[in-house]
Amino acid sequence: MSAPLIDLVGITKQFDDTLVLDDLNLSIQENEFMTLLGPSGCGKTTTLRIIGGFTQADKGQLFFEGKEISGVPPHKRQLNTVFQKYALFSHLNIEENIAFGLKIKKKSRQYIKDKIDYALKLVNLDGYGKRMPDQLSGGQQQRIAIARAIVNEPKVLLLDEPLGALDLKLRQDMQYELIRLKNELGITFIYVTHDQEEALTMSDKIVVMNQGYIQQMGTPEQIYNEPENAFVADFIGDSNIIDGTMIQDLVVEICGVRLPCIDTGFGRNKPVDVVIRPEDVELTLPTPDGLNGVVSHLIFKGVHYEMEVEAGGFTWLVHSTSLSPVGSKVGISVRPENIQIMNKPASEDEEAIANDE
Amino acid sequence: MKKAIERLYLAIIFLFLYAPIATLIVLSFNSSKSRANWGGFTTQWYSEMLSSEVIMDALGNSLSIALFSAVISTVIGLLACIGINAMRKGPKTICLTLNNIPMLNAEIVTGLSLMICFGVFGVSLGYGTILVSHVAFCIPYVILSIMPRLKQTSTATYEAAQDLGATPLQAFFQVVLPDLMPGVLSGFLMAFTMSLDDFVISYFTRGRGINTISTLVYSQVRRGIVPTMYALSTVIFLAVLVFLLAQNFLPQKLDKLTRKLHEKRSLKGGDEGGGKWVMVAAGVLAVTALILLIVPGGEEKEEEVVYVYNCGEYIDEAVIDIFEEETGIRVVYDTFETLEAMYPIIEQGQAVYDVVCPSDYMIQKMIANDLLTPIDFSNVPNLEYIGQDYLQACRSFDPNNEYAVPYTWGTVGILYNTKLMDEVPNSWSILWDERYDNEILMQKSVRDAFAVALAYQGSSINATDPEEILAARDLLMAQKPLVQAYVVDQVRDKMIGGEAAMGVIYSGEYLYCHDENPDLAYVVPDEGSCVWFDCWVIPKNAENKENAEAWINFLCRPDIAMMNFEYITYASPNTAVIAELDEEIVNDPGVFADEATMGRCEVFTWLGDEVEEIYNESWLEILAYSDEAAGVEAVDPDSEE
Repeated sequence: MSAPLIDLVGITKQFDDTLVLDDLNLSIQENEFMTLLGPSGCGKTTTLRIIGGFTQADKGQLFFEGKEISGVPPHKRQLNTVFQKYALFSHLNIEENIAFGLKIKKKSRQYIKDKIDYALKLVNLDGYGKRMPDQLSGGQQQRIAIARAIVNEPKVLLLDEPLGALDLKLRQDMQYELIRLKNELGITFIYVTHDQEEALTMSDKIVVMNQGYIQQMGTPEQIYNEPENAFVADFIGDSNIIDGTMIQDLVVEICGVRLPCIDTGFGRNKPVDVVIRPEDVELTLPTPDGLNGVVSHLIFKGVHYEMEVEAGGFTWLVHSTSLSPVGSKVGISVRPENIQIMNKPASEDEEAIANDE
Repeated sequence: MKKAIERLYLAIIFLFLYAPIATLIVLSFNSSKSRANWGGFTTQWYSEMLSSEVIMDALGNSLSIALFSAVISTVIGLLACIGINAMRKGPKTICLTLNNIPMLNAEIVTGLSLMICFGVFGVSLGYGTILVSHVAFCIPYVILSIMPRLKQTSTATYEAAQDLGATPLQAFFQVVLPDLMPGVLSGFLMAFTMSLDDFVISYFTRGRGINTISTLVYSQVRRGIVPTMYALSTVIFLAVLVFLLAQNFLPQKLDKLTRKLHEKRSLKGGDEGGGKWVMVAAGVLAVTALILLIVPGGEEKEEEVVYVYNCGEYIDEAVIDIFEEETGIRVVYDTFETLEAMYPIIEQGQAVYDVVCPSDYMIQKMIANDLLTPIDFSNVPNLEYIGQDYLQACRSFDPNNEYAVPYTWGTVGILYNTKLMDEVPNSWSILWDERYDNEILMQKSVRDAFAVALAYQGSSINATDPEEILAARDLLMAQKPLVQAYVVDQVRDKMIGGEAAMGVIYSGEYLYCHDENPDLAYVVPDEGSCVWFDCWVIPKNAENKENAEAWINFLCRPDIAMMNFEYITYASPNTAVIAELDEEIVNDPGVFADEATMGRCEVFTWLGDEVEEIYNESWLEILAYSDEAAGVEAVDPDSEE
């Protein structure tokens, strides 16, 4: 792997008495679409603002192309940001908004004009140049905000929940738009969101954060299929997280029933967390030795039915394309490869620290 | 039908709101000085206003103070807003609450506390103190109008600009300021109008020789407001109207305008986009600085000056110009509204005057309190023109003729309308005659009102016996139901307009009233009355005593005294003037009281603090009683008041 474009080393940040980031280490490669994902207050936006220069870290270093830039003010950093609420300049028209950074840098008129044309085409808003920002829809404004940032040819584009204010359909369209843009521009995107679907759709790499710590880092597939702890499992998609005991390698006991699994190395009779995705739960007819229960809730979701099954003292969330009516008795079975075993943390803090890389 | 009523209702409301202003505007074009007579259309008052140095000075002060205080408070307010906005919630709330308190505070409290504050720190009152005070009371309003705008603008645009390569300063001027501009502009206009409108705070914080329009108008209350003031008020009203309209419409218009500009403007012209406002701001500041350099410039020169403190409308202003021209002494001319308002200013030395024009009893009080300095009469050779009789009479309050040089004099008597009554009111008793119910006007002045009752009951007008004073009080209360109104200068207008049969008045007003309405006559009743003198005196703390003496000497010069007589129409003690005048005027007892009349008149003397207290308390009782009576009157369908 080549040298990272951005390197955060031991970044710590405290607001009043709240520790927002604690000794955070993170490397971002060139041309990567990296998403910082986590619930609000997890430190993802603070991380982005530290990279952008709007917030100063209390401790730690920030490297850009190998040079430390911790003390460099925002206007001297080679990055541009797309803000959550677009932050367009309402007294300037679209062209002037886009040209803002270029004028500051005293580029020639022709250069600016070309750049505006190029940027408007890139975001599919050709011909909107003379309009004022409040004459555009939310999605159009967001694309202008992106255009305004990219005409400056930054090495890194920081995006702070840019789609948060848009409605669902528009958000999905914009996700594709962003992927296309990233591919066309070939620059690094650092994207902050709390929406796991957005993160899974667009990212090359996802960093799941909670309480100022990195919980897990990996490709969307890794994050989704192999969550390293209960937090990640719970945060990414829906999950059944069940207390269990690792009897021995390849055998786990949940709800009083022993099931085969593919995990090893947890020791004998060790308490563990067991994660099973709702779509991995298969409903069968009741079996004499297996886990049996009763369907208590049923909702039609379009692609599938969402059911709740009371079985073994636990409420199972089940996604299935076939219907089992409320009150029917069912058996629960899970394939060994779909059972994810995780160590149990002693406390929530430990959970956070234990998984910090 | 319903619609018609709605419209009528609206019309009545607007009539109620704007009729007074309309009246004022109409009167400003009235060629008669009286409010009661329409003497034809004229723009004379406007040209007089424009040529009056006193008015133009006051106007200049009002405008320059409004402009500077608006600019300064806008800049300070804007910076304060940015600071407050960056605070955390707790301190921010505290700051905004603190900001609101001065606005809720009674103006008089603000004015008074500012005056005291300047006094404690030894700052002498003047142009600068008014300006500082105006800046102080305007800032909260500026903050109030910028703050909401600032709250709307997220810090995101400021960060976005920096993100795009702008330095913090560039970001502020190119992004934050344009966003705030409507708020800044309306804050500026608000401050400007507040400053222009202000009376109370200016009144307390101004020094000698400094008038704003509002303090000038107020100082003329005693002698009646002259029509030039209507003209000026009309101009101010229109100016404020324009500003208010601008304040309401400009921000929106501005938004639209900039939008249009941007839509039209191609990118070529777009370079100065952010710089535009900077240019405007710089322009405003440059003009401000320029005016600032010019305005107080005169103060710095070392020159001869005399600080004159006179009653409002009590001199022909041309006289001031001639004096300045002939002597090279600059006159700082200031006016007071009542003697009672003048006294504490001289006593406390808040503003130091070189020469003042009070009345008899007030001069006595000032002498008693050691506030005056004897005049060096070798500097006042024109004293020879002042009649010996008058100097003799002045001895009642200035025993050795050391301190005072008479300026005007007269009696208090009854002005009556010969068309409305068949008899000559030779006795004060007629003011208690029920036949003249609601036809009587009284002077709203404690000593004058009491003089009437005291003379009627056969006491001295300088009675000190509490029983006599209380008896006079009871008389005045008993008279109350018959009295149409207690008024000050409105006696003239009401009498000219034939609204009352008779009114108690100073003899000096008679000539003017008679000119306006020939049916009016003046008499001093047989029981006797008051003869009064207004004299020039020099306060002990005067800084330019010789100039003050030159001023007094100048006013005693026959041609100058004549100019003043013609302007003021109050009787002159100047023998040369009397010799010049037509016999008809000199022999008119309404103007120059004859010896017989003088024989039964007394000069007011100062009665000491204790007795004055009895007078004042009784006076308040009478006024309160008169309020009740007025309440009864209002029910009376015949009453016009």
